Amino acid sequence: MKNRTSFLPREGEAQPSRCPDNSAFKQQRLPAWKPQLTIASVLSSFFLTGAFCLTVGVCLVLSANSVREIQIDYSDKCSDCSKLRENSSNWNKECHCSVNFTLKEDILGDVFMYYGLQNFYQNHRRYVMSRSDAQLLGRNVNIQRSYCAPFSTYRNGTPMAPCGAIANSIFNDTIDLFYNHNSSVIQVPLLKTGNSWWTDKNVKFRNPESYNLSSAFAGTARPPYWQKPVYLLDEEDERNNGYVNDDFIIWMRVSAFATFRNLYRRVRRTRHFADGLPAGNYTFHIAYNFPVTRFKGRKHVILSTVVWSGGSNPFLGIAYLVSGTAATLTGFVITGIHLKLRKKKTYFQKQ
Amino acid sequence: CAGEENWVDSRTIYVGHREPPPGAEAYIPQRFPDNRIVSSKYTFWNFIPKNLFEQFRRIANFYFLIIFLVQLIIDTPTSPVTSGLPLLFVITVTAIKQGYEDWLRHKADNAINQCPVHFIQHGKLVRKQSRKLRVGDIVMVKEDEKFPCDLIFLSSSRGDGTCFVTTASLDGESSHKTYYAVQDTKAFHNEQEIDALHATIECEQPQPDLYKFVGRINVYHDRNEPIARPLGSENLLLRGATLKNTEKIFGVAIYTGMETKMALNYQSKSQKRSAVEKSMNVFLVVYLCILVSKALINTVLKYAWQSEPFRDEPWYNQKTEPERKRNLFLQAFTDFLAFMVLFNYIIPVSMYVTVEMQKFLEMFDEGTGEGPLVNTSDLNEELGQIEYVFTDKTGTLTENNMEFVECCIEGHVYVPHVICNGQILHDCTGIDMIDSSPGGSGKEREELFFRALCLCHTVQVKDDDSIDGLKKNQVPRRSCIYISSSPDEVALVEGIQRLGYTYLRLKDNFMEILNRENNIEKFELLEVFSFDSVRRRMSVIVKSSTGDIFLFCKGADSSIFPRVKEGKIDQVRSRVERNAVEGLRTLCVAYKKLTAEEYSNVQKLLQSAKLALQDREKKLAEVYEKIERDFILLGATAVEDRLQEKAADTIEALQKAGIKVWVLTGDKMETAAATCYACKLFRRNTQILELTTKKIEEQSLHDVLFDLNKTVIRQNGSLTRDTFSGLSTDTQDYGLIIDGAALSLIMKPRHDGSSGNYREIFLNICRNCSAVLCCRM
Repeated sequence: MKNRTSFLPREGEAQPSRCPDNSAFKQQRLPAWKPQLTIASVLSSFFLTGAFCLTVGVCLVLSANSVREIQIDYSDKCSDCSKLRENSSNWNKECHCSVNFTLKEDILGDVFMYYGLQNFYQNHRRYVMSRSDAQLLGRNVNIQRSYCAPFSTYRNGTPMAPCGAIANSIFNDTIDLFYNHNSSVIQVPLLKTGNSWWTDKNVKFRNPESYNLSSAFAGTARPPYWQKPVYLLDEEDERNNGYVNDDFIIWMRVSAFATFRNLYRRVRRTRHFADGLPAGNYTFHIAYNFPVTRFKGRKHVILSTVVWSGGSNPFLGIAYLVSGTAATLTGFVITGIHLKLRKKKTYFQKQ
Repeated sequence: CAGEENWVDSRTIYVGHREPPPGAEAYIPQRFPDNRIVSSKYTFWNFIPKNLFEQFRRIANFYFLIIFLVQLIIDTPTSPVTSGLPLLFVITVTAIKQGYEDWLRHKADNAINQCPVHFIQHGKLVRKQSRKLRVGDIVMVKEDEKFPCDLIFLSSSRGDGTCFVTTASLDGESSHKTYYAVQDTKAFHNEQEIDALHATIECEQPQPDLYKFVGRINVYHDRNEPIARPLGSENLLLRGATLKNTEKIFGVAIYTGMETKMALNYQSKSQKRSAVEKSMNVFLVVYLCILVSKALINTVLKYAWQSEPFRDEPWYNQKTEPERKRNLFLQAFTDFLAFMVLFNYIIPVSMYVTVEMQKFLEMFDEGTGEGPLVNTSDLNEELGQIEYVFTDKTGTLTENNMEFVECCIEGHVYVPHVICNGQILHDCTGIDMIDSSPGGSGKEREELFFRALCLCHTVQVKDDDSIDGLKKNQVPRRSCIYISSSPDEVALVEGIQRLGYTYLRLKDNFMEILNRENNIEKFELLEVFSFDSVRRRMSVIVKSSTGDIFLFCKGADSSIFPRVKEGKIDQVRSRVERNAVEGLRTLCVAYKKLTAEEYSNVQKLLQSAKLALQDREKKLAEVYEKIERDFILLGATAVEDRLQEKAADTIEALQKAGIKVWVLTGDKMETAAATCYACKLFRRNTQILELTTKKIEEQSLHDVLFDLNKTVIRQNGSLTRDTFSGLSTDTQDYGLIIDGAALSLIMKPRHDGSSGNYREIFLNICRNCSAVLCCRM
């Protein structure tokens, strides 16, 4: 049998206790929530979640529906231009087209102008990687080492600025909006700065340091599909030129889906347009440069307002509605099962 | 038969490295390993490669390694660090842990391998390190020392050539066992004599069975023919066992180091896997399949999508020149790998990190002030997964501390004055007679019964002078202390002592007993048929001073009753059954008188069986079967074995935790059932299902099994409904009792080939019971 004496501490030998600390962690007494799943708590949590989601969903859908939006697909309306652009040898021929539309009611508040593209895969892995962030920060880097290929250097070794497929394929249509007011045509004043994120404009994009911009980009060449070099993107505004050009920055933020829209301009609220866009006839004047027919894409121009929940995107509201409905339905199903089985139980108890 | 093969492959050992005399046989020195024990897995040099190899044999580790390598090679969507860092962490933590455990094993090995051993060289006692011991060396072991290797027992300081050994560290049995020295060498008591021994030993190659050993010793005396003696497991002292109550012994090393039976019984040292890990591996394989198919589908879809050139390479997203030239299949394969890498988070590496971390948490026992000793921490989580606990009854549930309660001689019950203020009074020699005093022939039987109990045992007497002071105070009147491998026997001999017959000692093959009239009676011990679990009985053949030869046999009732031809069987049987229901261990005693011719016959049979090298045990069993029959029943004894402290609480806690307890015992069904009720294994509301021989005799096995199965399944069905509604009441639990005969009937394959059927039903029944009791195994 067990020799009990061996457990006693030996004499003259002060053994340090090997007992672990009596702390909450070591003795596994840390506070923990151990919910008891009763029928009341389960049902109430399901119904409460359902009610909350449905409320939020309805609010979001209503607010998204209150957004005024006009979307005009101009890839068909400018079919001449799109045919011309199918052949890349015509790259330097200019092509203009105009699109008319009528506003039956005023669009009040801030009006935003977007361009939209369909079937343009900005999310392709090769495309997404094809940029050099270091170069866009104005650093003097060897872009051969970046993932910009095949848009990194020309055959003679001149590096492209900016490099990469994203920069190369920048949206280069120019869209102007005109208001036909009493047989006189008024150009709607549009803001082209202040459209990008502050961090993009001030942190992620910076021009190379030099006494002027053209010397800063000396030794580099424009990307092959560009019509002018990067330091001529906006000759009027020094702070909107080069890499910190707003149109460029917005384009460089790639979209997750093949159908997307990017902010292009904001309506400047002065004179006729102080309250927004008044009702009437309008015309878009478009300098058509960006070819989309080759990849079966489409182009849109969009005018829209915003509300507290953002633009006219119903997704979030629908998502809330669906999950709210699911939670409520589950609640009902559980109630049904509970009522049915409770009756059965009493039946058995009577037996 | 494996035993025969092993015998064919035998080894010859030259005791003390002395060559046999010329002409006997050729001296072929054989090479044997040294006495070094290696339980560690790694050495300093092979730790890193071997440990890494072991670790990457885990599917998960290997998988993450592959993912990491893929990420290094191909142009990956995610950084290699994301899978490399956690993998490195897991590998490092495991390696440190296993390295530390192996270091501890190294330390333990060194301690064992360097402990000093006394052995004899040129007639002198020499001390050497244990690891330098070699086969053929003659070793001296002192009291309370462990045997350094497997030894053939040559001689001991005890005159009768026996020694006592406890094998607690080998098989967990803490009782003292008796071993016997070789007949021809037991007279050698000092180093010179032993050194002069000239002998060879032939024995089987080492095999792991602790209780089997076959060998032969040839002792050479000058120029005479060598004397051959059989060697059995009773001559073999195993490494790991401890010498007790014997001053010193001499033995010759036959198996050393990793060839000792203890070392052969080491479990394999390969990495052990827990059930959690095994099931995790299964899940891993399933998820791996999902991952591979996902990656495949995505690759196919990718190529389907980009089959149109305006999608594959639109003007805004052109390929580089090397990309265009790349082999399509290579490209597709890299795409496939890239998808694998992209989706590899389906198998979370963090889970492995967590599992690895939780192994550091420790347990602690307040009572002893010690933490648990972890040998392989890879298995810690297994502790929480235990579903079944198998337990022995005697010595586990009960204390294995026997107390003689009563004996029944031909239906008359004798109870010694046992308890007085909780103290056992040893001076009580009177007999409490419940029934009326037996007649003249009864008196004779009674005395025969007591003598039978005094003689039919293998109890050893420890002399007075070797008892330490503490025990002396407790037992002031007793002049001797009994030691036996079976506590029942000690209880019986002590009980008989209280009834007036004292067993004194065994001297020169004469057993001496002190009878009620304080006269010493001497019986010559002729043969002992020792107890084994198959026969469940033991016998002795003794010759009284008057020249009568008696065979006394005691054993379990089931093995005695069929061999009895006269005696008051019914009365004894009813008493035995009553005692068994009360949870007492019962033994029956019978005898038979042998004539001189019969005895010589018996002797012949035994001798031929004992000398056989092959199937010795089988032949001996046949002989025993032939001799042990036609008994005259004397009576029965009852011995109580008290429950261990807190056995009931432990069983209750285990059952509360949902752990099913199975008890295996050799006791009678009634005894075992009573113990089970006492330790709360079966409770008042437990429905007992019986699957016993008795029941099978009434109905057919088929019907019994199907009935039980139906009962169990009905319960099961209602149970699931209850738990589903969340309002489950206290459910009925079942206890199953089966006995050995019924079990073998179930397990026996049937002639029509549908053997699997019963087994499945039986398994189903067992799994639905909260407690199972297997008795008379």
